[in-house]
Amino acid sequence: MATKEAPAATRESGRAGPKLPRWPPTRGARRASARAGAWHPRWFWPAFAAPGMVWLVVLFLLPFYVVLSIAFGAVDPLFRTPVPVWNPVQWNPFQFQLLYDRVFGPDGFLGPAFVRTFVYVAAASVLCLLVAYPVAYYVTRHAGRRKGLILVALLAPFWVSYMMRMLAWVNLLESDGMVNRLLVSVGVLREPFPWLAGQPVTVTLGLVYGYIPYMVLALYAGLDRVDQRLLEAARDLGASRRRTFLLVTLPLSRQAILAGLVVTSLPMFGDYFTNDLLSGSPRTSMVGNLVNDAIGSPGQGGQAAALVLVMIALLAVPMLGYIRSTRRAAREAGR
Amino acid sequence: MARMSRRAFLSRSAATALAVSGGVLLSACGKRDETGAAPGTGGPQLASPDNPVTWPIPADAGRIADGLAPEQGATLRVYNWTEYIYKKVVQDFEKKYRKYDVKVQVSTYGNMEEAVAKLRGGQVAFDVLFPTYDYLGKLVQGNFLRPLNHSYIPNIEQVWPAFQNPWYDQGWNYSVPYTIYTTGVAWRVDKVKDDIARLPNPYEALWDEQYRGKVGILDDYREAIGMTLLKNGITDLNTGNQDHLNLARDQLVELAKTVRPRVNTNDYIDLPEGKTWITQAWSGDMVNAQYYMPKGQSADVMRYWFPADGKGPVNSDLLVLLRTGKNPVLGHLFLNHLLDHDVAVENMSWNGYQPPQNKLNPAELVSQELLPANLKPATVLPAYFGTGFRYLELPGEVDDRWHAVWQEFKAGA
Repeated sequence: MATKEAPAATRESGRAGPKLPRWPPTRGARRASARAGAWHPRWFWPAFAAPGMVWLVVLFLLPFYVVLSIAFGAVDPLFRTPVPVWNPVQWNPFQFQLLYDRVFGPDGFLGPAFVRTFVYVAAASVLCLLVAYPVAYYVTRHAGRRKGLILVALLAPFWVSYMMRMLAWVNLLESDGMVNRLLVSVGVLREPFPWLAGQPVTVTLGLVYGYIPYMVLALYAGLDRVDQRLLEAARDLGASRRRTFLLVTLPLSRQAILAGLVVTSLPMFGDYFTNDLLSGSPRTSMVGNLVNDAIGSPGQGGQAAALVLVMIALLAVPMLGYIRSTRRAAREAGR
Repeated sequence: MARMSRRAFLSRSAATALAVSGGVLLSACGKRDETGAAPGTGGPQLASPDNPVTWPIPADAGRIADGLAPEQGATLRVYNWTEYIYKKVVQDFEKKYRKYDVKVQVSTYGNMEEAVAKLRGGQVAFDVLFPTYDYLGKLVQGNFLRPLNHSYIPNIEQVWPAFQNPWYDQGWNYSVPYTIYTTGVAWRVDKVKDDIARLPNPYEALWDEQYRGKVGILDDYREAIGMTLLKNGITDLNTGNQDHLNLARDQLVELAKTVRPRVNTNDYIDLPEGKTWITQAWSGDMVNAQYYMPKGQSADVMRYWFPADGKGPVNSDLLVLLRTGKNPVLGHLFLNHLLDHDVAVENMSWNGYQPPQNKLNPAELVSQELLPANLKPATVLPAYFGTGFRYLELPGEVDDRWHAVWQEFKAGA
């Protein structure tokens, strides 16, 4: 990368001039382009990426290595805290064996929690999409001057912390809370529904509520970029509104939908406090809850790390699929 | 307390999760300190009533000499469970030693694991810690504690004699008692028809499907599994018998399926607010719960049951001094302050947890309005420490098997 950036800049500046630049640039050419303000030392552009790289190394790669070292590590005999083993040669796969037995073994008691997590997240993500798409569509195409206002309104929930919003729901969903009183008074329910008594539906709706703004934003960004002329062209060529949507708008927003699903579902997979606040019952435990419980238990730090790594490995598959798909889309767009 | 209660709630918040994982990382990056027991030495020494332990006092342990003056202009750093000490009690201490310009700074933790991770990180020189007694051995053997100089703590005379020479710390070389509590079952008479206390086996009411979604179980693996063992008449709450643990596991898994209990340590909030109707509960939390009753509702609907014969879980929390503390003299004085009868009673009036004070007649807690009459069974009697059962520190291998049971319950298999 470092070697390619500088020549690109040089070529760019050269094109403006009367003569084609030579590569590698001669001393004179360099000096000339430097005078024009276009030449930079080869470290100049990469330097822009440096803070991000440092961030990535210090706050992602190193901690990730610590998690690995803990998952494959030992336990302090006295305090039963995890003791990381830094040397990969000495890594012990015991925690993974244990985890495997607990998922697939005869007492595979962790299996249901994994299945449950995927079901809740899938349901919540799809619901997010179904709710957010029309909203994003309306904002981009029909909101007109109120666009900014509506966007601000959609972002407003972010001004209140996630936990406060969930605690508010706890109050609303009480047996004698507003939700039950409303549903009973209009006759939807005959008696109050125990929303907070370990109900999968409550947890799923909690996830939808918590993460839907991300979906709206991702969809908005994508739909906003759709070239209006393509839609007009489709209509000119005789496509009905429905066919225009199905054959033009929807395919063009595929990337936005994928991006939205990624940004909403990934945090959902790690979520544990939505569940803790809205259910608190083992019946709705998700993998995030298992990790959180293991971290707080003496001697279980290794299990927590192993769970995290297994989750990362599982989620890497759809992530790679997403990256491949965006690359393909970028290639097609470039063609 | 709120102690345990708020502990879990906080440990669940995202912020704390970050702090905890940060702590894990920090302690992982830091040097491994000399935590005593090396691998292969058979693990740490375990104390129990049948095996009282006198912790040794090494020469370099930093025990202070007699008659030293308190540190001048110091900040005493107290490390405590969340909401486990009355602010006024702390301010009283500052006033009492105003001459020395003392400031007390209270930092809090959500569970012992978090506390130990931070202590091992070693960045903050805390003076005073409030551990559970099953952690005492670890803290001593890990060289974290400062031996007490008894000449600064005359108020030890004010606590029950059993706590002046406890089995977990013979000769109170390192610790003084803070609070005592039992674990039982609490319920609301306006929601639950049965008189739980009169049932042949009150623990079984927690498995009763008519209370589905309204049952609370403490989010504490020792308490929940121990309660299940007691329900089955197994009184060894530190058992390593796999058959017993399997039995507890099966019944807890069934509980999760059929009754869908709330598993947390908000018993003192959930019961008064009606989120639960019947719950496993700590005695101190129930005393505290009356303040969480919604406005306009009377707290006299709450009841607490602990076996009348005293055969239930009964435990205590401690006060210790940390070796890293910069203010050992003030630390001693702070411990002495909290052992004073008036201070201890004032503290109880706020956090609900009973101190083992001689002059505090358990029979009079109700007449002194420290305990509402309907919660009289939440009184902790000295006799309970003879009849009751304790959660002792478990050998690592047994502890892992307890955790496996707990994990299976929590996973909602």
